[in-house]
Amino acid sequence: MSLRISALEYVQEVQNGNISAEDYVSKTIEQINNVDENLHAFLQINSEAIDNARQIDKKIKSGKNVGACFGMPISIKDNICIKDSKTTCASNMLENFIAPYDATVISKLKQQDAIFVGKTNLDEFAMGLTTEFSAFGPSRNPWNLDYVPGGSSGGSAVSVSAFECLASLGSDTGGSVRNPASFCGVVGFKPTYGLISRFGLISYANSIEQIGPIARTVKDTAFILNMIAGLDPNDNTTIDNSNQDYLLGIDSGIEGKKIGIIKEMIGEGIDSAVMSATKNAISKFQGLGAVCEEVSLDMVKYSVAAYYTITATEAGSNLARYDNLRYGYDFPVEGYEFNSYISKARRKFGPEVTRRMILGGFVPSSGHAGKYFLKALKVKQKLTQEIDQLFKKYDFLIAPTVPVLPFKIGEKIDDPVALFLVDINTVTANLTGKPAISVPFEISNGLPIGIQIFANSNDDKSLLQAARALESTVKLPEVPI
Amino acid sequence: MTKIGLEIHCQLTNLESKLFCPCKANYREYEPNTNICPICIGLPGSLPRLNQKAIEKASMIAMALNCSTPEKIAFFRKNYFYPDLPKNFQITQLNIYGDTSIGGLGYTMVGEKKIRITRVQLEEDPGRLIYEGSSSKNQTTLVDYNRAGTPLVEIVTEPDFENPKQVREFLNILSDLLQNLGVSDPSLEGAMRADANVSIEGGNKVEIKNIGSFHDLEKAIHFEITRQESLYSRNIPIVQETRHWDDRRKITISARSKEEELDYRYFLEGDIPWIRIDKDTQERLQKEMPESISSKKDRYVSKYGIPAQVADVLSSDKFYSDLFEQSHNEKNAKEIANIITTDLMGLVDTREKREQSKFTSKHLEELADAIQSGKITRNSAKNALYEIVKTGKDLTQIIAELDLGNVSDESEIEKIINEVISQEPQAVEQAKKNPQTINYLVGKVMQKTKGKADPKLTLDLLKNKIK
Amino acid sequence: MVNEQEIEIVAKLMKIEIDDHKEYIDKVHAMIDYFDILDNAGVQDEEISMKDIPLSNLREDKHIPYEDKLIERLNNYKGTYVRAPKMI
Ligand SMILES: [Zn+2]
Repeated sequence: MSLRISALEYVQEVQNGNISAEDYVSKTIEQINNVDENLHAFLQINSEAIDNARQIDKKIKSGKNVGACFGMPISIKDNICIKDSKTTCASNMLENFIAPYDATVISKLKQQDAIFVGKTNLDEFAMGLTTEFSAFGPSRNPWNLDYVPGGSSGGSAVSVSAFECLASLGSDTGGSVRNPASFCGVVGFKPTYGLISRFGLISYANSIEQIGPIARTVKDTAFILNMIAGLDPNDNTTIDNSNQDYLLGIDSGIEGKKIGIIKEMIGEGIDSAVMSATKNAISKFQGLGAVCEEVSLDMVKYSVAAYYTITATEAGSNLARYDNLRYGYDFPVEGYEFNSYISKARRKFGPEVTRRMILGGFVPSSGHAGKYFLKALKVKQKLTQEIDQLFKKYDFLIAPTVPVLPFKIGEKIDDPVALFLVDINTVTANLTGKPAISVPFEISNGLPIGIQIFANSNDDKSLLQAARALESTVKLPEVPI
Repeated sequence: MTKIGLEIHCQLTNLESKLFCPCKANYREYEPNTNICPICIGLPGSLPRLNQKAIEKASMIAMALNCSTPEKIAFFRKNYFYPDLPKNFQITQLNIYGDTSIGGLGYTMVGEKKIRITRVQLEEDPGRLIYEGSSSKNQTTLVDYNRAGTPLVEIVTEPDFENPKQVREFLNILSDLLQNLGVSDPSLEGAMRADANVSIEGGNKVEIKNIGSFHDLEKAIHFEITRQESLYSRNIPIVQETRHWDDRRKITISARSKEEELDYRYFLEGDIPWIRIDKDTQERLQKEMPESISSKKDRYVSKYGIPAQVADVLSSDKFYSDLFEQSHNEKNAKEIANIITTDLMGLVDTREKREQSKFTSKHLEELADAIQSGKITRNSAKNALYEIVKTGKDLTQIIAELDLGNVSDESEIEKIINEVISQEPQAVEQAKKNPQTINYLVGKVMQKTKGKADPKLTLDLLKNKIK
Repeated sequence: MVNEQEIEIVAKLMKIEIDDHKEYIDKVHAMIDYFDILDNAGVQDEEISMKDIPLSNLREDKHIPYEDKLIERLNNYKGTYVRAPKMI
């Protein structure tokens, strides 16, 4: 039995009785034990995973109703709460935090008999795009261990890419699902804002972030989405998707569709290998019967500055609750005055989080809000108008997911502004609430390149069809692990 | 001229649940930290779940204060660190991106004086701090989050008050109004709080915070006016500042320090979309609003001929006006108004007494009927009511037990009249000359029957005898 | 241009104690300087708004006690309280 199958193939095999959940999950755990010492995708492994699989096999044998996952091993980014287990956000500040509830996505997957093999690594509180800012050490790219896997859902993308699970859930605030998916050669999907409940996702920048699936195929992505999307009374920002089936008609193709290539995302600073991959992708789309032309999205130039201004502001507020009074680590209050206690307790935040908190205090402050925060909101507003305008004419927009190839661990960590620019192609989807997906497309010098497709709000289903069409033209080499 | 403005905080105590979670809105009967959940304690991963009724009730308050009500409302975060604030930000409202608070400009009348309302906003109450230990050295701060997330309506007025008396009158009116709307019970401890700002002619505006009760609010305003006038008379400038009310010393103290200069970094709460309250919804809310106090008063006067003063007392207190509404009909309305305002109000004048009392609107109805049909006298009715409040027993039972029924047997009354006539020859003589004085003899008969003789019958019989 | 003192005030506002001032300040500076491009976006006239939902989509006003004794899972003091430092 090979681990190297897709999630849908797994379901098929278990249903046909060719493999058991226990076999597959045991093998998965074995794989984790073999490779994760180097990759460091996981922060915790679920010690009960194999037992859980055995239970599901029993259920299958006894002819009881079994959920659609049939014991499928799934990994979960460690900023999504699973009841009674640790959720650390890869931060020392929350190293002991045990959530008393399941995130909505978790309860939905539990109902479908998914098995959570473990919690995956991330940049502390999801602030980063390399997973180097994890308080517990970086994850490594399975295609080349010297390289970053992208982030912040780096652990999730690595675990899917390295067969340590069949699919994963990450969170995408400015590309945190799509960026590592692109760097690790897997599929990463950021849905329309509100399509997936954020209840149980520990907030970083709540007005723009979404949980998103990472999987080895577009169909697997649609399969996971089917189970976790939809209205949730626990999250007032969720939208009603009328229980759409995202798998149904996924092979519809894109003949006759109009695709815009976002000019501002293939300009200055783009790596030549990424550029050539993008050109190849365009010809593939044309080959599939789509019409492609270059379009302009003027506000993209300001999108990264707007993105960091908004996220820092929201993060500064969202992370204010970590004052160590109600939960946290052992640090008694005796002898301290309130302000000095809190300030000392909050030293457990890592340097990147600390920097963004300072930014988050600065840009919305009464003296500077007009110059930074308010302008950022207005850029967001205008960018949304621009992209809405484009979607009147085009079905999809495309761009490379990341304008550069994966880089080496340590290469950019000290240059925050250089890191900013890696985000330039992904933040637009978050600022405008539009769905976007990264599809693995080429390997250049042994490193993956992903192509990103955007669709209009609530067109998640047709977006997955377009992604599937592109995927069908691609055959990538195997991950060298 | 002295200018006083108010910021009043009022809890929506009559709601079932908190503003963003299903914990109990009225937290008062809970042991510390037993009325909490992941949302109101701000656990990571939790999200606010806005209470629909809180919006509706707050909107009704805005309407009752004649405020404009926008079709879309928004929530903002007010960011500051304090141990009673579980998320270290408060979800509140603001008008920085257009009018998005639950209520905009409005007014309310205090007698002839118009008090303008600046805005009405809906927000969450913080938890409560309890200080243990005597000196600042061994002080321990304990936090109880039961109150955290209680729906709170903030009403901000323009500085339209000229003296503390107007402030008191306004607060009474507001308190009655909130009670009448059924949104709050202002008599509950901490349900209504107010801060004030005060400025005198030629001086800057001074804000006073930390005022525990309405009683202290009046004192604080008095103190502040006197302080400012004294400064002014000595040519000392009055600086714009925030002062705290010192509850023990009954003075205001400057709160100015570096730490106080907070920057709240207000911004939109992304976890709550803007809420649409379209014209249809607003009309529905308007219809669902209970009748206003002034309309009730007018109705009592015009429809039932209840005297204006009685109607005023009756309509301004929801408890009594509800009772009146439940028990009256066309015929007995005046009698019931009378029973409530002259007898009942004295018997259940505190919250505890109201809660312990056993009477129902049915009792009032029966009582009024008994009086009107001459079954018992007003005087006996008063005694019966006392017993009803205490025991909740049936009126007939009480009449029997206490022997309160009218003596309307002619022969019995005649017997007593004869007694009185023989004992009071002088009065009889006088009554013959001056019929007006016959009432003295009626009174004597009443005395002998402990007020139970049918007064009309007694008078008729007496007149016959003395003629 | 942002100065060192301003950043220190903000760090205090955000209740963050920092050791390596220079290191933080340089990086934060670089970030804030980058944000200056927002001045060129020409968005002054944009109006801020957000998605809206009807009132009827909101939670019904119902009291549902939390099933768990949550305080037992928190840092508690004397059983039922949360303890905070001195408030001066
Ligand atoms: Zn609660």
